[in-house]
Amino acid sequence: MPSDVVLSDRSPSIPQRLKRLAAVQTLGVLAALVIIFAISAVLSPEFLTSFNMIIIVRTLAFIGLVTIGQAMLLILGELDLSVGAIGGLSAVAGGILMVQIGLDPWLSLALCLLLGTLCGFLNGLLVTKLRLHSLVLTIGMAGVYGGVNLVATKGVAITAIPTDIGFLGRGLILGLPVPFLVMLAMLAIAALVMFRTPFGRYVYAIGNNAAAARMLGIRVDAVRIAVFAAAGFLSATAGILMVARLGTAQPSIGEEWVLPPIAAAVIGGVATTGGVGSPVGAILGAAIIGIIENIIVLYGVSPYWQSIVSGGIVVVAISFDSVSRRYFRREE
Amino acid sequence: MAFLDVKQVRKTFPGVVALDDIHLAVDLGTVHVLAGENGAGKSTLIRILTGVMPPDSGSILVEGRNALADRGAFDAIAYVPQELNLFRHMSVAENLFMPFGRSGFPGMALSRAALDRAAQPYLDRFAIRARPGQAAGSIAVSDQQLLQIARAATNKDFKVLILDEPTSSLTHAETDRLFAQLRQLRETGHAIIFVSHKMEEMFALGDRVTVLRNGRSVGHSSMAGIDERGLIRMMSGDEVALDQTFRPDVAPSGAPILEVTALSGAGFTDVSFSLQKGEILGFAGLVGAGRTELMQTLFGTRKASGGSVSFEGKPWRLGRPDLSVANGMLYLSEERKQDGILPMLSVRENIGISLVDRTSRAGLISRRAETRIVDKVIRDYDIRTSSREKKIRFLSGGNQQKAIIGRAMERRPRLLIFDEPTKGIDIRTKVEIYKIIRRLAEDGIGVILVSSEMAELRRCATRIVTLYHGRLTGSFDTDRTDADTLVAAIIGAGELSHAV
Repeated sequence: MPSDVVLSDRSPSIPQRLKRLAAVQTLGVLAALVIIFAISAVLSPEFLTSFNMIIIVRTLAFIGLVTIGQAMLLILGELDLSVGAIGGLSAVAGGILMVQIGLDPWLSLALCLLLGTLCGFLNGLLVTKLRLHSLVLTIGMAGVYGGVNLVATKGVAITAIPTDIGFLGRGLILGLPVPFLVMLAMLAIAALVMFRTPFGRYVYAIGNNAAAARMLGIRVDAVRIAVFAAAGFLSATAGILMVARLGTAQPSIGEEWVLPPIAAAVIGGVATTGGVGSPVGAILGAAIIGIIENIIVLYGVSPYWQSIVSGGIVVVAISFDSVSRRYFRREE
Repeated sequence: MAFLDVKQVRKTFPGVVALDDIHLAVDLGTVHVLAGENGAGKSTLIRILTGVMPPDSGSILVEGRNALADRGAFDAIAYVPQELNLFRHMSVAENLFMPFGRSGFPGMALSRAALDRAAQPYLDRFAIRARPGQAAGSIAVSDQQLLQIARAATNKDFKVLILDEPTSSLTHAETDRLFAQLRQLRETGHAIIFVSHKMEEMFALGDRVTVLRNGRSVGHSSMAGIDERGLIRMMSGDEVALDQTFRPDVAPSGAPILEVTALSGAGFTDVSFSLQKGEILGFAGLVGAGRTELMQTLFGTRKASGGSVSFEGKPWRLGRPDLSVANGMLYLSEERKQDGILPMLSVRENIGISLVDRTSRAGLISRRAETRIVDKVIRDYDIRTSSREKKIRFLSGGNQQKAIIGRAMERRPRLLIFDEPTKGIDIRTKVEIYKIIRRLAEDGIGVILVSSEMAELRRCATRIVTLYHGRLTGSFDTDRTDADTLVAAIIGAGELSHAV
């Protein structure tokens, strides 16, 4: 064995350790989150109140669920712009099943999740079998799903959702909103799948090099379809939890779920070119966006300026990551 | 003093000394060969010489100017990388003069006609067979290569050309054409730094040579003052047997592992052959003879249009690479970057991806089991990396190839198809790969070896099948066939011949 092979870890110097730590991207995002959190706490006395914290984590729950799916798709090298429309369609389908058809609320809920999964599955099927670019295809499918939503509801909210499922949207367990806990559970499952299972490895492999993955005997199309379906399932989960929270099935649910999850994933270290990042980082990115949007309101920024400020901070956050990566990871 | 004078250059990366005490002196009007095994530091040195990456210490003088302080001095040095680097959908002329400001087309409005007119002299000078207005991606590979060289020549300060393995995708005739142009450049007072793994090219073109080994420059010589054996000794630091053969030491036996009957597909027609246990079956042919297409069809990533295949006596289902892998047929592509490595993942993950069946319990991968096997592969195949967690794209080509082979071996294949396994790989690593291939065959695994190097086929293959224009032109017992007969079959001369 030649002398330049070092398999056992030699004890590195402290600056080396710091560099290595910073190179672990998720920790970098976590550090950014802590800093933004601390600054927010200083900027506004309202920020740290439990009332405000619950607002933040509840908002994070819905965006977060969609973010988990979108992050997995981005790691795979794909993108789904119809996740919001799938969430909205699943939500109004829930309203229709429960209120207009009068089905059992829990059965309706299961059917909604199934519908979302099928929408994602269909996206995946079209992307793989017709060899379409997922960006363009899902723009089209967003129109289709959104259109079905409007045809079914005529744009009118379905009210009087059975209170049986209200707990899912409004309940607290150990002081934490139920949607947030659902999101954390989904995140735990997604992290386990991505980090520890062969399937997760296949997702990273395909995102890195789909041709090589095929040569390795990975069923590339099947993995792609499965991840699209998972993203559809997660969007539907967000949609139905939103119905439970509002007590009405609004046709507009999901309209805000398209771009923020992509920004969150990128802030969290997911490469738009695929193969890099993790759902955990993406959720930290979503939390950063959530805190920024919250503190802007608390700090009293004029509503007209809010989106300029929050958009600007997102750009700064992404460039901070890119610049630090160039410094820490040059050449490895 | 030499035109380009590199002294005591040192470059470190975290945990690795990439270059140390490098000396290189290149005179105008010469071809200077830069030789060294994979991982010897050639790529790092090239990046320093082109000004892309500063060294930690040392000096680089270009025509007496200190290039590290006066970066304009690097303008004299042009680099043509191994992989073609053109804007495929833009015209030949546009490719030639981009960026336009530098090449004397200032302003906002570009006239296509003016660009085309200005391009023509360069196309004539380098004998490029293309019209200025043609899309760069539509011209022959060798012309694309020359176009890249011509692009360097549009820079008025251009004096030194660095070429990294320029012939790896060229045929013999195309290589000759390239060399003629390079000699002409030398005559017009330019210097060429030539990186290659092919001995005959180094001796055909080179005037002087500098050898790198383990990040140091270990030797300088004129090409006339050194022979092949001496050069190899300098590169590897020890003696490598040049004429050793690596044919398996067992007689082929038993029923055939693989039987291919009248297989047709895009790029090849009506190909039949069989492969026995303990045999290394070589496939010879020109670039474009259909060998890669045939192998990828067998493996399943390309569609067959007719014919049948049986594997271990059972009918084989074509078109399903996942089933091929699951049933023990593996294909190692000649395009390592494109089809082999997962660039952003670590060495561990790159090897581990093929081990998930063995390393997972109850659906979860055991990191400990994975690490154990990966470390074994790194040791057994002598993969040189500072850590198993290093991203594989930072490894040298030879080490990437060893990782790919090691990963395939761990799947315990029953048939392995090697497509140009030593392309761009140094001589010592080549020998290591030949030994692995022989061991496979002796263990009863079927081996197919596709190679454009006749010497490689003759050293390794027990039988050689030749393809010409997608058709089988012969099947030869390596022991009983001379080189002329093989070459005749490869270039399509004569009738279908069966020497066996």
